[in-house]
Amino acid sequence: MARFIARRLLGMVAVLFAISVIVFLIFNVVPNSDPAARIAGKNADPDLIARVNADLGLDQPLPVQYVTMMKQIFTGQLTSYASNRNVVEQIWEGLPATFSLCIGAAVIWMSLAVLFGYLSAVHAGRFADRALTVLSLVGISMPVFWLAAILLYFLSFKVQLFPTGSYVDLTEDPLDWAYHLVLPWFTLAVLFIGFYSRVLRSNMLDAMNEDYVRTARAKGLSERQVRIRHVLRNSMIPIVTLFGLDFGMVVGGGAILTETVYNLPGVGLYAGEAIRSLDLPPLMAVTMFGAFFIVLFNTVVDVAYAVLDPRIRLGEAAPA
Amino acid sequence: MVAVPEAPPGVPESQVQGRNPWYLAWLRLRRNKVALGCGLLFVLIVAVCLAAPLWADYVAHTGPNDNHITDTVLIDGVETDIVAPDGTPLGPGLRGRYLLGADQNGRDVMVRLLYGGRTSIYIGLAAAAVTTVLAVVVALLAGYYRGWIDAVLSRVLDVIWAFPVLLLGIALGTALAIGGLKLGVIAIAGDSIWIPILIIGLVYVPYMARPLRGEILALREKEFVEAAVAQGMGPLRIMVGELLPNIVSTIIVFFTLNIANNMLLESALSFLGAGVRPPNASWGTMIADGYQMIYTAPHLTIVPGLMIVVTVLSLNVFGDGLRDALDPKARIRIEANDAGRH
Amino acid sequence: MHIFRRALIIACVASLAAFGVAACGSDDSSGGGGGSGGDITVNATSFPDYIDPQLSYTVEGWEVLWNVYTPLLTYRHARGKEGTEVVPALAEALPDISPDGKTYKLKLRPNMKYSDGTPIKASDFTYAIQRLFKTDSGGSVFYNVIAGATEYADGAADTITGITTDDATGDITIQLTEPNGTFDNLLGLMFAAPIPQSTPLDADATNNPPPASGPFMFTTVDAPRTLTMERNPQFQTVKDAGADEVADAGVDKITLIENKNQSAQVTDIMQNKVDFMMDPVPSDRLQEVKSRYSDRFRMEDSINTYYMFMNTERAPFNDVRVRQAINYAIDPEALNRIFGGRLHPTQQVLPPGMPGYQEYKLYPGPDMDKARALIAEANPADRDITVWTDDEPDRKRIGEYYHDLLTQLGFNATLKVIAGDVYWTTVGNQSTPDVDTGFADWFQDFPHPDDFFRPLLHGDSILPTNGNNLSRANIAENNAKMDELVTKQITDEGVEQQYADLDRAYMEQAVWAPYGNEQFTTFLSERMDFDKSYHHLLFKQDFTSFALK
Repeated sequence: MARFIARRLLGMVAVLFAISVIVFLIFNVVPNSDPAARIAGKNADPDLIARVNADLGLDQPLPVQYVTMMKQIFTGQLTSYASNRNVVEQIWEGLPATFSLCIGAAVIWMSLAVLFGYLSAVHAGRFADRALTVLSLVGISMPVFWLAAILLYFLSFKVQLFPTGSYVDLTEDPLDWAYHLVLPWFTLAVLFIGFYSRVLRSNMLDAMNEDYVRTARAKGLSERQVRIRHVLRNSMIPIVTLFGLDFGMVVGGGAILTETVYNLPGVGLYAGEAIRSLDLPPLMAVTMFGAFFIVLFNTVVDVAYAVLDPRIRLGEAAPA
Repeated sequence: MVAVPEAPPGVPESQVQGRNPWYLAWLRLRRNKVALGCGLLFVLIVAVCLAAPLWADYVAHTGPNDNHITDTVLIDGVETDIVAPDGTPLGPGLRGRYLLGADQNGRDVMVRLLYGGRTSIYIGLAAAAVTTVLAVVVALLAGYYRGWIDAVLSRVLDVIWAFPVLLLGIALGTALAIGGLKLGVIAIAGDSIWIPILIIGLVYVPYMARPLRGEILALREKEFVEAAVAQGMGPLRIMVGELLPNIVSTIIVFFTLNIANNMLLESALSFLGAGVRPPNASWGTMIADGYQMIYTAPHLTIVPGLMIVVTVLSLNVFGDGLRDALDPKARIRIEANDAGRH
Repeated sequence: MHIFRRALIIACVASLAAFGVAACGSDDSSGGGGGSGGDITVNATSFPDYIDPQLSYTVEGWEVLWNVYTPLLTYRHARGKEGTEVVPALAEALPDISPDGKTYKLKLRPNMKYSDGTPIKASDFTYAIQRLFKTDSGGSVFYNVIAGATEYADGAADTITGITTDDATGDITIQLTEPNGTFDNLLGLMFAAPIPQSTPLDADATNNPPPASGPFMFTTVDAPRTLTMERNPQFQTVKDAGADEVADAGVDKITLIENKNQSAQVTDIMQNKVDFMMDPVPSDRLQEVKSRYSDRFRMEDSINTYYMFMNTERAPFNDVRVRQAINYAIDPEALNRIFGGRLHPTQQVLPPGMPGYQEYKLYPGPDMDKARALIAEANPADRDITVWTDDEPDRKRIGEYYHDLLTQLGFNATLKVIAGDVYWTTVGNQSTPDVDTGFADWFQDFPHPDDFFRPLLHGDSILPTNGNNLSRANIAENNAKMDELVTKQITDEGVEQQYADLDRAYMEQAVWAPYGNEQFTTFLSERMDFDKSYHHLLFKQDFTSFALK
């Protein structure tokens, strides 16, 4: 077991390393993202630019620059080219908004997805099932940012039900914090509710025909007890593992669009700005942050599977 | 997911025996009116978008990128500004020209919508093709050879998978937009449509490759493969001749659903400025442009988004129907469940 | 003047001064009530680039810093052309300039203190200029004209030999390498504002801004989200020393909050949740604001020019006829509509409000036929044009318009949209391929025509990187004229007219296709005193003009 975990952790580190190298290369191979020229200002002369280059260490060979940058990330000393601010601090400051958004949305999407999936499976083939299926399918067919724009327009401008988009800290005023996040939570959740409720539905339908369910019925348990105690519980396992992966993705960068449209000062918004200005330091840091979360949850899920299914540990075919 | 010749309900056993599983799948699909309807809807949307030049030439008399900021158009006998002096564009109305109104550059929204649809759908299809080809190759190689080839390929898939999708897409899109892509002999211009196609195609490879690899690994253990090896078939013949046909139904379903995902990703990238390059239209860029004017001209944002929803929805429903048709077990379970209750 | 009237005037001035001092000294922070005081909130889409007078080089930065850091000279706190006049601030009087124009003598006012109580010394000025170079500030280029500056910058010298000061008397003497008519203007910029020598010499001070010498000081800075400015208690020392031209604060506290959503800012001001927005009202809300809130909204002039640059070193724009054709073809009204009605049309290099501005039209239009005729005459062999623009929504639309225009004129045009942060360094880099034409704008650094001509059109400004002479204009006689005029003072006889002639000379060669001057907007909440607040031509909204009703 320990060897398995160790191998997965090593794999994690290798993947993160590969990603950091790729990001670094993308931005050093791109022409015209020369940071010294940008920092030196609109009137700069060649001397000034040369001095800036030397100060920032940009005249060093690429591998040296890479190592310096990675060192700066881990010691929290990385500064952005565009704004001269500490990148790690900015990410840290963006965490409350991003986590507020992602965790809140996750709670909503999981509860609603389980509810809808359960109802859909129980009433399979009938009207309720069809209606929920349609809703789910519409949910996963919408571009997130478009939904956000439409919601803002109708519920915040036409009818002033919700605020126009900004963030209030939880510690300042919990009620206001939640009020400002209702629309963003809903927007982010819609996509996942659709997807998860359908997965739960199909898992439950598969499970309902298994032998152990027939046994439970034979034992005299009510239909309801059968459904919830046996079918639902067993169907949740793949859901939980999927959730692990998706939550990692959402925190890792899936929230960029929602944060941008709703103007939430989180890591996603910061990432969007960094990319548009081709600012390598924050870009590298944010990508590492995102990848770290994705890989972390991925690894946790893999380890959990291995705990449950010994065949995987021993290197046989991985589940599809 | 291996197609098994089960009899669809209502089809006599005699008709089933000896029938091609594909034909049976088609029978099942035919019974699913909704899915079929959505499939036709998608085809209809594609057809209408392909007819964009006809609309542009004969009805609207303008191209998708033609600006008409200071021009006027005759509406009910009155010369009306296409773009008012304060910048507000003409709204929608029942007329040939500017059916859906104008955007801030005075361009005909309907014309741009149709041309934009061509671009968005083309990108969705082409990227799906790219993803499928790459995923199938990777899955076959990794699944058949296993060992260190599988290890390396799986690591590569892990790296792509771990890269935050949007960040990778935007980073590549922005980076390649300026100078384009030069790989030895192949040179692609920065504003070519192939840049977003390749990026979107690449990003989704792990999503398709992993499940396919899993299936290949499972199939690898079956006797018919052992038999093929014993017969002395080379790896290529086994991969293409024995393994590939058994995953075709999975590929078809994934391909359909992948088109939908690609269109959504393209719209997100274009919205953030890293997808289709201006002045070309795609539904994503139209939403981005319209967003600037959402308070005075909301239709500029609503309409292209609605088109995306309808198109993607029809693909999702049709894809679901395909999956049900190709994998009947789930269906039978539903029917048995129903029967048990009555 | 009659003695009686003189006495009356003195009495009035004295009583007004007493009233002013009393009002300023009061602790009234409860807002409103006809006096000065209160707390207001301000929004901006971009936080100031640096909270550091030597480093900040954006409009947002200067707008915020102007009333916190006072240089030796400043600009009159007045609207319109009056505001472009340079007046004494920390210095007692305008500089004494030697006949050869190379020596400037000033005297620092006595007994002034920074907001933390440290006395303001003459050598603080030298320190500020040294900081400019040691922090690699973008503004340092302007001050290369000070003798010994470049040696100091390169590390060859420990001090700037051209500046000598005497802390006891407050004398400051500056030696220039050659006479320069813009130097007074440069002394009035934030770059030259004295700061205590405890400020780090070679590092950005944003997170811990230097103590203030103006009516406001920074009390908290949380970049890039928010900052607060409050009354500087030591500002009285500056006023007492006789610095009348430096205006006093009208409110007690200003909180600046960054908000990326311009439309949301407009809504917040409408609902009186926010008092002022630093950015202009976006085009799609403009109509609504103009019609419903005209009592607290107005359009403001600003000194800037929007133009299309045309690379005169590459085909097809190396032919003057093609460039003239573009000038005929561009429709300023169309571009104005893209901007939501905020672009005042022009065909000059210099904008209105700049000395040397004269209105005329060499290429009346828009005239597509004339344009096509000229192009047919020139018949360029190379018809491939790459059009560049940045990705801000207005500019992207301008790019799309220009791209369509070129296509209609028979060219094979390609549009390239570049992210705003890297746009200028991309098109200003000589190694970027295919820079034919594209969007450009220029906002004045100080109200002197040389600030427009030199960086944008002088042959020496064609640089390998960070060049602003995007048209690569290099007309020898115009270069010479520019060099000659800068040695004179703008107030000298005939200088303004010669600048106007220079403008015309460049437009005859059609090195640019200028089309507009952007106007800004002022939109305030209900409780602000609308008439008192004004928009300064260089520093935008004057924060000392903010007051509650």
